[in-house]
Parts: sequence; structure tokens; C-alpha cells
Amino acid sequence: MGCGSSLPDRDSRLLGRPTSENGGGQDAKNLRVKLVLLGDSGVGKSCIVLRFVRGQFDPTSKVTVGASFLSQTIALQDSTTVKFEIWDTAGQERYAALAPLYYRGAAVAVIVYDITCPESFSKAQYWVKELQKHGSPDIVMALVGNKADLLEKREVAIQDGIDYADKNGMFFIETSAKTADNINELFEEIAKRLPRPPVSSDVASQTAVR
Amino acid sequence: MMDMETSTSFHDFLNRMRHPACLDLVRSIKSFIVSFSFYQPKPENDGKKVQDFFLSMEAAIRDHPLWTTASEEDIDCAMEGLEKYIMTKLFSRTFSASPEDDKIDDEISEKIRLLQTFLKPQHLDIPPSLHNEPLWLLAEKELLKMNAFKAPYEKMTSIMSCCRIINNLLLNAAMSEHEPTGADDFLPVLIYITIKANPPKLHSNLKFIKLYRRQEKLTSEAEYYFTNLMSAKSFIVELNAKSLSMEEIEFEESMQAAKLTNKTSSESSYTCQMNQQEKNECSCSKKMDNKLDDPGVLQVLHHGSNYPYMEAKSKELTVGDVDILLSHYKDLAAKHTILCKAISCLSTSEREPLLRHLEKQGAGTLMPVCHSTVGSPQTQLTRHQDN
Repeated sequence: MGCGSSLPDRDSRLLGRPTSENGGGQDAKNLRVKLVLLGDSGVGKSCIVLRFVRGQFDPTSKVTVGASFLSQTIALQDSTTVKFEIWDTAGQERYAALAPLYYRGAAVAVIVYDITCPESFSKAQYWVKELQKHGSPDIVMALVGNKADLLEKREVAIQDGIDYADKNGMFFIETSAKTADNINELFEEIAKRLPRPPVSSDVASQTAVR
Repeated sequence: MMDMETSTSFHDFLNRMRHPACLDLVRSIKSFIVSFSFYQPKPENDGKKVQDFFLSMEAAIRDHPLWTTASEEDIDCAMEGLEKYIMTKLFSRTFSASPEDDKIDDEISEKIRLLQTFLKPQHLDIPPSLHNEPLWLLAEKELLKMNAFKAPYEKMTSIMSCCRIINNLLLNAAMSEHEPTGADDFLPVLIYITIKANPPKLHSNLKFIKLYRRQEKLTSEAEYYFTNLMSAKSFIVELNAKSLSMEEIEFEESMQAAKLTNKTSSESSYTCQMNQQEKNECSCSKKMDNKLDDPGVLQVLHHGSNYPYMEAKSKELTVGDVDILLSHYKDLAAKHTILCKAISCLSTSEREPLLRHLEKQGAGTLMPVCHSTVGSPQTQLTRHQDN
């Protein structure tokens, strides 16, 4: 609960959560995770995902229908795998009211803004607030400032992003889908922060008591 | 391909169920179906009941001697067969089960009919690179199939096919534009396709899939595209002057005009009156078509019983005949105009044989008039007199 921790009291609380609740994985070693992408249109949501999915080509993953739903599996150092099922959403203002249909049951929300566009940063804050109010309570949220390669056009200071994320207990990162900077780091960090299902019934009962 | 797969797996399922060893399974299935008729339909409860039954049957099938060596796919096939069997049997009790469902379906259809009269792709900011009538039409056709199926799996297949076509369109455009594509492009196109298609019973179909598609199958990609169609429906239901890229006043006026047009066209379909034929040429053309096929009409034309001046010579006419001739002329001109409109309403393939037929019947007087625009009174008068 210390000031230094960006995720106060999070880990212990999440351990005992049933995995099925968040569309989550089958067992402790192989997680399946629903990830929803939110953010203004034009901030590069789809570019980030395409970079992530194409960069690490997984021959075992089934070919998906299109570009708005993609899935990608990553292997972590502790030999667990995380399969991200990535739900893109339409970022135009007129579809904002439809977002709950998409983020319902999501274990992860990645909220993207464009560092050259302050409006998109305000919109990102709107999504954070909305998810805090209506998202599942233990959703893992990441704030992403995209287009970090356009330094000379930057209008949102990196510190603003860090501060806002800190205040809201989120993970923050700046990425460039164009140069692939920090794209894998984003998803790896999310994977690390995911609540793990209990390994055995022993652990489950322990956390339930706690 | 998809359809063939399902139908074979369904036949496999039925064949297996005929095996004596399956008697216990068949008995559970039958008693489950019968148990449904004891109660009034209650969608949410019924959905849960069916889902629970699917799960218990899956467990039973896994333990069953006939499936001991079965792969996961075999089990899945059996379950798809079971879903189709059960939901076909229970269809009339579970689909659009409440009067409210009917009402919502009608409201959505009606709203879409209004929107269809004026909505253009640019109102949803669909970029020109995604305008592709043939592919849109294909996607619409897939979506329209949804209501024709009874099994939730099959309904879902038509949603997926529709989305696959839209995605192909998006990916092709992305490739040529060198711009990545995603939900920002996908959802507007899906909404536009849904409005163009106006799939019957949209709300009921979505609700049916949600409640009765095997829960473990409505996940991942299928769930994503299902959610997109749900959102398209929601967007249409909530759609107002602020939802589109057009002036609010223009939206209101277009909706009003659409309401008026829809009203008049439904009225005039009951009575095909002369003064309404402008708006309703096609139903008129049907009637005219029937009349022309009737040989009596042509005989009358030929023998001229209704046209006493057909055999007359100009010398025999008196001044008193002018009035009668004039009224006949007006009558003929009016009929001729309607007839031409009716014929122009037909497609070329329908028109050509009809015109040939008329020519053969010796309606030569009709033909040149029909092809020409309405001439001056004098020329037509002389033509009739010359004959």
C-alpha cells in the first residue's frame, strides 16, 4: 500500500480470482486473456497490434478473419504462455456508447493516445474513468502513448502520462508502432501483471481464506 | 464448404443416435424436449436450461462407450449435431418467444427502412477506398441468410461469413493504401451493410444465438464478431440526428420524408389508382401485364368495338364527331401513357418478348405509339383516321 507501489494491494487480492470470470485461461501454465483496445480513431491502435502480431509470427496460431480481432501467444520466462485475444474497438466519438459491449469481461484494457494530439490524451483519461466505473474491478489497465517516434511534434509530455498512470494505478509506456519501439515490452509487461490462477487447490483455499 | 461440413456432421450425429447403444442418450434428449412443453417460454430460464443440458450431454457423450476412442473434434461434431437437433425441435418455442421480441424486431426493421431511403456511406465516414458495391452485396446476402437457419451454429456461420467478406475488403484496401486497418473501419462498414440488408428479425436472431449457441463456442473470434453485430444493432436503435455526419436538420427532414414515402407507397399498393401510378409504377405494370396477356384486349383493339371510328373515312365525319373523337383521344392518350410507363418498368428480358407478342397479335397501331413520345394531338388523330 506504499506510495511507491503503482499497484496497491493488487497482487494478493487477485490471486484467488476464478479464471473463467474474465474470459481467462484454462490452467496456470497457459493463460487465455481477453484484451480490449480503446482510444481515439487515428492514434494507431491497430498498428500496435499488427506490429505485435506480425513481429512474433506464431505458426501454430490459427489464421484469423481480419484485422480487428487478432490473437497472439507469448511465452514468458517462467515457461508459462499467455494467449492474448485482442479486441479492437472503433475509436470514433459516435461509437463511444458501444464500448461496454466490448470491454465487458476483458482481463486487460490497453488505452492508447497519440503523443502529438492532446485531445486523444483527454479521451484516454475518459476511458480510464469509464473503466474504473464500469469495467470489471480487477481489470489490468495500460496507458500507452503512441507515435513516440514523432518527437518534434510531441504535445503531450511524457511526465503527464507517467503522472496520470501512477495516480490511477496503471502501467504506462510510450511506443512507436512505426519503429516497433516498446511494442513487445508493452505486451510482456501486461503478461507479467496478469493475475495467475492458483496452481493447486491448496493455494486456492489459502487465498480464499486470506 | 461450411454447409456441407455441418450437414455431414449432422447426419453422422443422427446415424450414431440410431445405434442401440445410444438409447439412453436418445431417451434423455427426448425427455428434455418434452419437458419444455410443460412450461410457458421464459427466454432467460430456457437459455440456462438448454446450456445446462448441453453440458450434461457433453459429459454423457464423453463417458459413452461409442465415443471412447473419439477425438476432441469428434466430440465437438456430436455436440454441434446435438445443438442443431435440440434447437430445431425447440425452435418455435424459443425463437422470438415473447411479443416484445416481435415488437423490437418490427421497430428495428421499420427504422432501417427509413434510413435506407437516404443513408449514404459518407454519413458514416466510410472512406471511398472501401466503397465496393459487389462485395457489399455479397456481405448483405450472407447476413440475410441468418434468419433462414434454425441452428444457432448456422446462424453464427452467416454472421462470420458476412464479417469475413468485410474483412477481405478492408485488407485489400489496406494493402493498396499502405494504411493498416482495424475496427475504426470495420464497424462503420458492418453498420452500413446491416442497414442495406435489413436482416429480418435482427434482434430475435441475436438474442437466440446469445441464449442457445453452445457457450464454449461463443468465445474468442466468434464472440468478437457477434459483439460487433450486437453493436451495429444498438447503434441503429439509438441512431439520431447526432449519430451521423450530416446536418441535424437534414436528418430530421430526411426521416420525415421517408416516413411519408413509406406511408403512401403502402397505401397505394392496396389501390392501384391512376393518380397514384407515378409513385407506384411497378404494381401498375403488373396489372397492365396481365391485361395485355388477355387475348380479349387485343381482340377489342383489332375489331374496334370500343373504337367506332376505326373503319371511318374522313369524308364521313361530321362536326359533331369532333367532341366524341376528342374524348376518345384523351382516353387513349392517358392509357397509352400508363402503358408505356408500365413497359418501361419491366426489365429488358421481360419487355422484349412482350413487345414481340404484341406485334404478332397485330397490335401494330400500339407499337409505334408506344415507342414514340406522346405526339401532338393532330398526328395521333390522323394516324387513327388513316387506319
